Amino acid sequence: MRTLISDTQLNRPGGRRAYRIVLVLVVLVFTLVFLGPLYWLVTGGLKSTREVIQNPPTLFPHQLHPATYREAWSQLRIGRLLFNTLYYAFGALALQLVFDVAAAYALSKLRPVLGNLILGMMLATLMIPAAVLIVPQYLTVLDLPLLHVNLVNTPWAIWLPTVANAFNIFLLKRFFDSIPEELMAAAAIDGASPLRALWSIVLPMSRPILGVVSIFAVVNVWKDFLWPLLVQPDPRNQPLNIGINSLSLGVSQNVVIAALAIASAPTVVFFLIFQRNIMAGLTSGGLKG
Amino acid sequence: MTSDVLLRRSVALLAAAGLALSAAACSSGTSSGGDAGKAGSADAAAPLDPAAKVTVSIDCQPPVSKPAERKQWADDVAAFNKLYPNVTVASKDGFPCEEPAAFTAQLKGRTQTDVFYSYFTDLNQVLDANGAADISAYVNEKTVPALKDIDPSVLATLKADGKLYGLPTSNYKMGLLYNRKLFKQAGLDPEKPPTTWAEIREAAKKIAALGNGVNGYGDYSATNQGGWHYTAELYGLGGSMTTADGKKAAFNTAEGKQVLQNLYDLRWTDNAMGATQGLKWPDLMTRMATDKLGMYVGAPDDITYMVQTLKGNYDDYGMGPMPGGKSALLGGNDYIFKKGSTPDQIKAGIAWINFKYLTIGKGQFDYARTKGDGLPVGLPQPFFFTGAGLAADNRAKAASATVPVQNYAPYLAASVPGKTEPANAQQIYKVLDNAVSAVLTDRGANVDKLLADAESQVNQVLANLQ
Amino acid sequence: MAAIRTSTRQRVRQNLTAHGFLLGALLCFGYFSWYPMVREVVMSFQKTKRGRTTWVGLDNLDRIVQDPAFWQAWRNTLLFTVLALLLGFAVPFVVAVLLNELRHAKAYLRVLVYLPVMMPPVASVLLFKYFYDPGHGLFNHLLAGLGLPTLAWLNSSTTAMFSVVLAATWMTMGGATLIYLAALQNIPGELYEAAELDGAGLLRRIWHVTVPQTRLILSLLLLLQIVATMQVFVEPFLLTGGNGPEGSTTTVVYLIYQYAFNFDNYGSASALGLVMLLVLAGFSGLYVRLSRSAD
Repeated sequence: MRTLISDTQLNRPGGRRAYRIVLVLVVLVFTLVFLGPLYWLVTGGLKSTREVIQNPPTLFPHQLHPATYREAWSQLRIGRLLFNTLYYAFGALALQLVFDVAAAYALSKLRPVLGNLILGMMLATLMIPAAVLIVPQYLTVLDLPLLHVNLVNTPWAIWLPTVANAFNIFLLKRFFDSIPEELMAAAAIDGASPLRALWSIVLPMSRPILGVVSIFAVVNVWKDFLWPLLVQPDPRNQPLNIGINSLSLGVSQNVVIAALAIASAPTVVFFLIFQRNIMAGLTSGGLKG
Repeated sequence: MTSDVLLRRSVALLAAAGLALSAAACSSGTSSGGDAGKAGSADAAAPLDPAAKVTVSIDCQPPVSKPAERKQWADDVAAFNKLYPNVTVASKDGFPCEEPAAFTAQLKGRTQTDVFYSYFTDLNQVLDANGAADISAYVNEKTVPALKDIDPSVLATLKADGKLYGLPTSNYKMGLLYNRKLFKQAGLDPEKPPTTWAEIREAAKKIAALGNGVNGYGDYSATNQGGWHYTAELYGLGGSMTTADGKKAAFNTAEGKQVLQNLYDLRWTDNAMGATQGLKWPDLMTRMATDKLGMYVGAPDDITYMVQTLKGNYDDYGMGPMPGGKSALLGGNDYIFKKGSTPDQIKAGIAWINFKYLTIGKGQFDYARTKGDGLPVGLPQPFFFTGAGLAADNRAKAASATVPVQNYAPYLAASVPGKTEPANAQQIYKVLDNAVSAVLTDRGANVDKLLADAESQVNQVLANLQ
Repeated sequence: MAAIRTSTRQRVRQNLTAHGFLLGALLCFGYFSWYPMVREVVMSFQKTKRGRTTWVGLDNLDRIVQDPAFWQAWRNTLLFTVLALLLGFAVPFVVAVLLNELRHAKAYLRVLVYLPVMMPPVASVLLFKYFYDPGHGLFNHLLAGLGLPTLAWLNSSTTAMFSVVLAATWMTMGGATLIYLAALQNIPGELYEAAELDGAGLLRRIWHVTVPQTRLILSLLLLLQIVATMQVFVEPFLLTGGNGPEGSTTTVVYLIYQYAFNFDNYGSASALGLVMLLVLAGFSGLYVRLSRSAD
């Protein structure tokens, strides 16, 4: 594929050398910048407490202390924290796939009365800093109006608010908009219900955008901090971010580093295994200009 | 059309529900007011009836990352249940015990435990949220036998308008922490820490002269801790942060200037504090634990942190009285009783706190057990007993001491009176952070101007709170 | 007449179905976005003392404006936004253009850039906190090793904000880079050929082909990024404890947090939230108008 610089230009002797230099430089710098910290994380967890806080820092651990990892695993209850995080992330993903897809489909293809107003009101929420709404939101979760249920300390407190994700609905709707109207009309003439049309026409065509939305949904829960801090006060229910950060104040720095290394491992490994699919989803998805 | 109307109605309903809800929230506060008092002044003073069946939830159970403390808690609950078999202690763990966002949220949502952990400085916030029950009638010599020995200045932090709202579990008075190893290396006597700022400057110069990145003195100047230490140092010189009614700043005085001038001189004239400033908790401890810092102002439990978390040695750290010696900033933590608790819950909570935190020889004062569990014994914290209680506590502590108690002798011998933090401390500290940071980072800093600016800003902040 | 009636009935039915599909999302938005918004506005005119909530009108607004931290927080937020855009917008774009030109190691580099996005933020943030430590931190050690002067990073009011932005960029640039890459790959190669035939050099090709061709996605991301960066919270909160030296990293959102959770002043927090809401809404409105008139 033709890009900014043509192959002929690169194949000139000078071009080739310049390309080589740039390539090597880029590979080196990127490796250092993005893998270096991971190296430091993994080896930092193997150092002793004194070595971690000593000045100057050391490149290799003087003495290996693999027991730090065991200590971190049991003292910070990382297994539990990891499970919680995944539980919240995939629960949120499932709910968003059901409700946000349904909503985007309705707004894009069923076009109800006031659809544009609803979309506008949804998009308006993108402008509101999450921290601004955190206390009224918390009060709402404590006692849902009309239903009078308290969601604090239940996974619903994390799952349900994630459904109110205007960005995902917007992405989905834009993608659904690009599905030809004739296909929908044909399905309607064949007597397919809206649900059937969604299931057998829209969804199969939308795999890339569903992938993108899924990644965003999982990453959002994975990254959230202030909200889970408030709605999951019980340490047994806390996700990684909260659990590690609060416990990090009371344990040695090398144990914290080991904990961070363990906590990063699952997603990094998952990503490395499925990077081809994830990358394909992210780059080809509905984010085209 | 239909859907249009439906939507409009549901929106209206939602809005109406919101109004009704917030109205309910307003009114519920006033209606639930009376029940704690109603519970009867006649029997409120009596200790808990062991036959009474009651469940009381309590937070701040030690976390899994502190296995020894966690086991002690479980053992204490079991021992407590031998005395009160019908009380169910519903423990909730969490670390740190108080996290500002979660604390505020639970007060707003009234989801705090029946007996909940807080800092001495939180009482105002708790009362504003209508979250505390008046326990004055319940606390007496029978329910808390050690009551007469508890330092009145500590109990005062848990009182408002003459009513008692909580019981202390631990407290500290600030003093001067110093590295005995560096003192020896610099030719200073580790048994005689400096007690005035002039002596601190002398010692700091000698320690800084050791070179190799060693600083003589260090201080915080970020995340409100600069203001906190400014306050502590001002107290040491006999000053106050605010007027007695808490409505005006009172630190723009000769003492107030002296605090900033001391820091300025240590930093620029003596060059004893190093170029890296903007420090915050736990930077000073990290530096002292790695033998890069000679002295700083702090609390006794900093020593525990330096040993347990930073793997330093107890032998290397000593503690002296607050420089100036007029008064020492006093802080600590306590348990407050949730508004709306039943009289039996309040009694059960008091019985538990008395058992776990306020009885010499039991709970946190069971030094033999603490020693057996490999935890430190002998630090001057908690520090709320006076008179006979203090003597008994010191004897018990000395019998099981695992840390070099004599290292804290200068601190204990001076017995500087405690002074609590000002009301609205965090807002005030935030302003003073800037002044402290300025003298530590700007060679041309003008102490008079910095303090005058801070004064007018604090006055503004306090006026806004009225 | 009959035809009209059936079509009305049909439309009603269609609408009901459509709203049925919308119901789940509508309930969630209602409960967790719209209703809290209303509540937030109401609370910004109220004050709670000793359990009593009273209406105070514009008092809260009046007071936050008089707080010395108010203007500082806006200045910091602006500074953060500008820095974050310079780094967080330009760096991923340059990286994307670079990656798009490389014929080798492309997959490897793409994976590298996206790796930090997959790490739990607490890990990335604490990692940078350790790196920044002026005493035993890696960064100063590296600078000293290269013979460069060391920095105080998070400990100085002049460098704290920059350090926060740097960490934030490292953590999040993967997402933006991939989006730009996708946009770049959609640029028809003929456009470059045509430009080349016209004698356009490398930079002119970027300016006249690459930038216009990715303009839409660039501007969408720009809007989202401005809104997102103005709401930054976790990075300064965990890196500098929020305020930073001399308040140099106090952002508006952190100030809101501080009013609400440290100063027990929810009225002021709500009022400041309302101000921020209006600023962001005004900005977005302006943006929509500008982009419309540009089309």
